Amino acid sequence: MGLLRYTLWRLAQAIPVLIGIITITFFLANQIPGDPVEIMLGPSPAQEQVEAIRARYGLDRPAYQRFLTYLAGVATGDLGQSIYYDRPVLEMIMLRLPVTLYLTVSAFVFAIVTAIPLGVISAKRRNKPADHVSRIVSLIGVSTPSFWIGLMLIIVFAFYLGWFPARGLPVPWASPADVRGAETQLQVLRTSLYHLAMPMVALGTLQMAQITRIERSSMVESLQGEYVKLARAYGVSESKIVRKHAFQVAQLPVITIVGLGLSTALGGAVLTETVFEIQGMGRLIITAINNQDYELIMGTTFMFGVAFVVGVIITDIAYAYIDPRVAYGDET
Amino acid sequence: MTEPLLSVRDLKTQFFTEDGTVRAVDGISFDVYEGEIVGLVGESGAGKSVATSSILRLVDSPGEIVGGEIEFKGETIFGLEEDGAGELRPRDEMLTESEMRKRIRGREIAIIFQDPMESLNPVFTVGGQLREFIEINRDLDPDEAREEAIDMLREVGIPAPESRYDEYPHQFSGGMRQRVLIAMALACQPDLIIADEPTTALDVTVEGEILEMVTDLQEKYDTSFIWVTHDMSVVAEICDRVNVMYLGEIIEQAEVDDLFYDTKHPYTSALLDSMPRPDKTVDELRPIEGVMPEAINPPSGCRFHSRCPEAREVCREVHPDLRDLSDEGAATHTGACVKHDAFDVGYDDSPAIETQTGSGFSAGLTETGGEAE
Repeated sequence: MGLLRYTLWRLAQAIPVLIGIITITFFLANQIPGDPVEIMLGPSPAQEQVEAIRARYGLDRPAYQRFLTYLAGVATGDLGQSIYYDRPVLEMIMLRLPVTLYLTVSAFVFAIVTAIPLGVISAKRRNKPADHVSRIVSLIGVSTPSFWIGLMLIIVFAFYLGWFPARGLPVPWASPADVRGAETQLQVLRTSLYHLAMPMVALGTLQMAQITRIERSSMVESLQGEYVKLARAYGVSESKIVRKHAFQVAQLPVITIVGLGLSTALGGAVLTETVFEIQGMGRLIITAINNQDYELIMGTTFMFGVAFVVGVIITDIAYAYIDPRVAYGDET
Repeated sequence: MTEPLLSVRDLKTQFFTEDGTVRAVDGISFDVYEGEIVGLVGESGAGKSVATSSILRLVDSPGEIVGGEIEFKGETIFGLEEDGAGELRPRDEMLTESEMRKRIRGREIAIIFQDPMESLNPVFTVGGQLREFIEINRDLDPDEAREEAIDMLREVGIPAPESRYDEYPHQFSGGMRQRVLIAMALACQPDLIIADEPTTALDVTVEGEILEMVTDLQEKYDTSFIWVTHDMSVVAEICDRVNVMYLGEIIEQAEVDDLFYDTKHPYTSALLDSMPRPDKTVDELRPIEGVMPEAINPPSGCRFHSRCPEAREVCREVHPDLRDLSDEGAATHTGACVKHDAFDVGYDDSPAIETQTGSGFSAGLTETGGEAE
């Protein structure tokens, strides 16, 4: 089986998982005490008004009927209507998702770009000063919550030093008209990167620390491998051993951590977006929950589920690509 | 006799651990001449593998070569001298690390490791790995190296080498992987190949095939081998000369026939008794009693005395060096056991001592006890 067919097969396998996510979310969301209509209309509303709204959003029908309608809607790409925003859920998600993806992907790029060299150097200079520094940094990184890092960054770099803005995150592809102080697309990009710096570090630090630790231990193990001894015995240079022979084997566990970290990072994005007042998916999901906006809760949860599944699939594909021992499912 | 290809003199390699200094290789000397297969035999922990990594100067930290000389084809792989202040420092002519890497490792001395399952890199193709080492050590361009790799795979008996070239190690069986590693060693056209227990991890039928193949290829390419093993039957099959190691020392050196038929050291006898032999019928095999002591704190006197069925008081006190015990006119045969006349330290008058062999539950109790009296 080729890589393409393997990918399609993995995507097909994701469908039951997503149906499961929808089912669980739907019934859980409906179990939350309280009622969106109450929140909308305030205390002691008129009975007719309540009924009209319930009918409008289909809340008067039994749960299983609503569930089936919802499922059919999702299959056709309709995620329902947000009660709070009074707009289609999909539209809200499409508005917010790019911001969150922009933030998360940047945080991951930051994490990987810093963590891999750190981990490799740490492994290569095992138990020497460089290793100790890198291990302490990553230990601190793993144990510090992202929102605290965010707050500290704001205090130091926004409040005292005034180097970076503390609020909001315009995307680089926004039109100059929507971004304050920007007239050209280049200025939009500049503003965007300025805004990105702090939330990216806040969100990426945990990932960086985790990847560094895995990269280090994986490289340490790989550097002790018999194949490394063999390469040395055949006169391969030490730098090539680190860069090629040991490195490629060592990346397998790292890929797993990066893939799983994707979902952690999306969770972390909720906090980071709150701290930096970024209008992304995180803020959206919090608004949805606060207002018992059923359809929006489900839509956002579903999107997080999709992101998680996609993360796992990307991990599997990367694994199959880098490790020849992972057959594409046809040899088992 | 002609100059040896490799000459090891009084080599000492030690490991500096938290518990103390482990004298893994403690003053061994041996030669390898062109075109011969020299055996390095002993139990696990005797220091055989450390000795071979010392020859390539690839001893892992905390291990270090602390003394002795290694000469290879007139070049100094290792050698120390005293400077003005009486400190030991590497001699000027000793090859640098980068010279070792570029001129010796792979190119002149290649190695085959024990575990074929772990020695190949799992994420690169077998052919790619072969080609890389051939490129480095024979200065060939990638296409030539590829040709050479395929030829070599064919030479070591891998069927359809063109297609298997692009396969990964996990698609090869253990025996096939060991053939690949042998191909790797031969393809670099070294003068010396160190085979570090290359057949230990394989089953006996595959072992037989591989030994046969190595013997043929050795004749064809006229490469010298150091064959490390604990298996006397392998020694009998392929070695020309043998060095028997015990606890970091060589305790007997002889041509293979002399070693088998005119054994001088009780440890060698014990090794021979512990394997089945076609020329002797025995009721049961006699394993060597006890385990090898730690090299961190070797026994006084003869290091084997604690397990030796022939040990006497004197063995506890006198540390025997390797002396020539050969009959006049015969090939050199050295051994390190005071029971021989060459030592003259009063072995015959010394009382027998209790050893692990005589300490109780062993099957050989009566027999060994009787001998010692």
